[in-house]
Amino acid sequence: MSTLAHAGTLPPRTAVAADSARARWGRRFQHGGWFVAPFFVLYGLFVVLPVVRGLYLSFTDANISGDHTGFVGLDNYREALKDDLVWDSLWHSVQFTLYVVPVIVVAALLMALIAHHTVHFKWLWRLCFFAPFLLPSAVIGNLWWWLFQPTNGMVNHVLGLDTPWLTQKSTAMLAVVVATLWWTVGFSFLLYLAALQNIPHHLYEAAELDGANAFQRMLHITVPNLRNITGLVFALQILASLQVFDQAVVMYQFTPGPEESTRTFVQYTLEQGFTSYRVGYASAISFILFIIVAAVALGRMWLLRNREEVATR
Amino acid sequence: MGQPGLNRRQLLAAAGGLAVAGSFGFAALGTGADALAAGARTRVRYWNLFQGGDGANQVAMVDAFRDGHPDIAVKDSTLAWGGPYYTKLAMAAAGNRAPDLGVMHQGRIPGFAPGRLLDPWDVNLLAEYGVREADFNPVLWQRGIVDGELYALPLDIHVQLNFYRKDVCEKAGLLDTAGRLPAAGSTDEWFDILEAAKGQLKKGQQTLGLHANDQNFCWWFFVAFYQQLGGTYFDDDHTTVTFDTDKATQVLEFLRKHVTDGYVTVGEADGEAFLAGSPFTWEGNWSVPYFNGEKVEYGAQPLPPVFGTPATHAESHSFVLPHQADRGGDADEGAYRLAAYMVTHATTWANGGHVPAYLPTFKDPAYLKLAPQDEYSRPAMDHQANEPHIWFAGSTGVLAQRVGPIVAASNLGSATPDAAARRMKSALAQLLAMKNPMDGRTAAQELKGAGA
Repeated sequence: MSTLAHAGTLPPRTAVAADSARARWGRRFQHGGWFVAPFFVLYGLFVVLPVVRGLYLSFTDANISGDHTGFVGLDNYREALKDDLVWDSLWHSVQFTLYVVPVIVVAALLMALIAHHTVHFKWLWRLCFFAPFLLPSAVIGNLWWWLFQPTNGMVNHVLGLDTPWLTQKSTAMLAVVVATLWWTVGFSFLLYLAALQNIPHHLYEAAELDGANAFQRMLHITVPNLRNITGLVFALQILASLQVFDQAVVMYQFTPGPEESTRTFVQYTLEQGFTSYRVGYASAISFILFIIVAAVALGRMWLLRNREEVATR
Repeated sequence: MGQPGLNRRQLLAAAGGLAVAGSFGFAALGTGADALAAGARTRVRYWNLFQGGDGANQVAMVDAFRDGHPDIAVKDSTLAWGGPYYTKLAMAAAGNRAPDLGVMHQGRIPGFAPGRLLDPWDVNLLAEYGVREADFNPVLWQRGIVDGELYALPLDIHVQLNFYRKDVCEKAGLLDTAGRLPAAGSTDEWFDILEAAKGQLKKGQQTLGLHANDQNFCWWFFVAFYQQLGGTYFDDDHTTVTFDTDKATQVLEFLRKHVTDGYVTVGEADGEAFLAGSPFTWEGNWSVPYFNGEKVEYGAQPLPPVFGTPATHAESHSFVLPHQADRGGDADEGAYRLAAYMVTHATTWANGGHVPAYLPTFKDPAYLKLAPQDEYSRPAMDHQANEPHIWFAGSTGVLAQRVGPIVAASNLGSATPDAAARRMKSALAQLLAMKNPMDGRTAAQELKGAGA
């Protein structure tokens, strides 16, 4: 009702140009603001406020009951830098990231190519590749816990081994990596599949007419056209992998794994906050992770901006 | 009006309105149903952590209490045990949404902020319901007291046991005339027993289920054998670490030998392997109902006193009153009655494998007939090896989390026993210097009652 009336009384174009920026903004808000307001309210309530509160707590010695919130300045951060377990668990998260990210990028691309180029049963490929992504992490953790059992697990049965995957340091993180790959590759697969479908078909036709073989078409058309999406998949996977937590915790049943080799950074934060009840300290170390993740994200933005500048030069 | 669009909007609005009204209706129905169930009775909210073989036993007891007390509506919640349970309990108490009654491991009491997260028991009110200190194991009762007030009303002790299969042991000639396994008095004797039993096994079967890589079990077994050697952790003032790395090394070497000599398959599911023919498993007594459910002839004794002095790891399930700002009234009284019922009906509780804290039970003929409880209850009660009584100790607490993985690393061979012992000592020193986040005091300051 009001929008219709408003549309009828729109001022002439020249008057709009003369409008102050403030008035324009006001009108824009009138049109779209109410639609995005719920998002901003929820985002503020459940993201911004907790982050600000967490930052404040990181300078206190707050415990889980909210008591004892004495201000301790940078003590928590100082302690964290000297805490071996902070560095160990950070290394485990980085280790996990280093294993997972390259494999996911390559595997997702291969899977997308298969699903894109297959003639028959396209839907089946898509379903098989994407379905695991829909499962909750608790299911994934338990499922792979069983699959990796030494004597009656399917992994050893199929491979003809008797490796104690989950109980020796050398394979413990690998087990988490395998479970995670199976679980999450579907998301990157989907991104790649969409990007593949967006590459104009006439490029391939032209190349074919020029005598390019399948490999050349892949190298000179597919891969360059997927550059942006590859950058995105890399970035998203790094950011997600640094925060790895739930599947490892479920697979190792809330323990830090053999010789504490699968305790991730987020898990250590949880231990400090919810087992040791040191909410102030846990907040401080979670902010350290926040800074690292933010640095990675900003670094990526900076790299991309440079690339764009080079491209336009 | 009359336009199709408006009609649709009206329809949508009406549908939305109905949905909202409907959900309110359901909500109302929910409270109505609750009210119906509760009638005009007192509602007692009760949180526990009994999920295993003792869980079904617990539910049966609560049901029996309901039958006998129609005026009390018990709303019981069984939550996942361990860290998550204590987190929920602490947050509920801190947020003044605490249940009327809860169960805790007694070892966690000193760290759980008595006076702030827990309310003390009124001993006189307990006496009115037939619960008197004189009827309880004195050690357990005393350990529930902080600053002169009772915070943990002991229900039982639960211990780590050496379960043995009688069929395999008999074939190996290990049983005495009464059909029981004599306790091994030295490490050599123990390994001889394992070797004899191993001779009876099929390929791929492990001799002993040891939980060699589980941080909690590793720590519990360590506590038992370290105490057999008379080892201590801290001095009485909680200012100095008295941990004996030589004794600790001895214990760690003993545990590790099970793995190196091939008696244990690391990572094997112990209980299942036992039921499938593995002759020994070291498990908590809560496995008794689980093993009883299968057709297996077995016995259960405390962990073997291989270092001379008998001692087996023990913790106690206790009833606590999570802090409520306005504790009192009918719900509180209901909580007292429920707790009193549970601790005094200890024979029923003992069916779940636990050793009752309520002493008259030991004269109950029905209790004395329980097997294999008759084999382990008395010696286990007399030779308890507990974690140190300090704020960071207790079942699944910070101490187990810090030193358990070190014991596991030694078991699995990535750390030598003597290096592991030294790491344990330095972890203990760090913990002793740490402040309890609940009151901002170190263990020594807590002991002296010094201010934060």
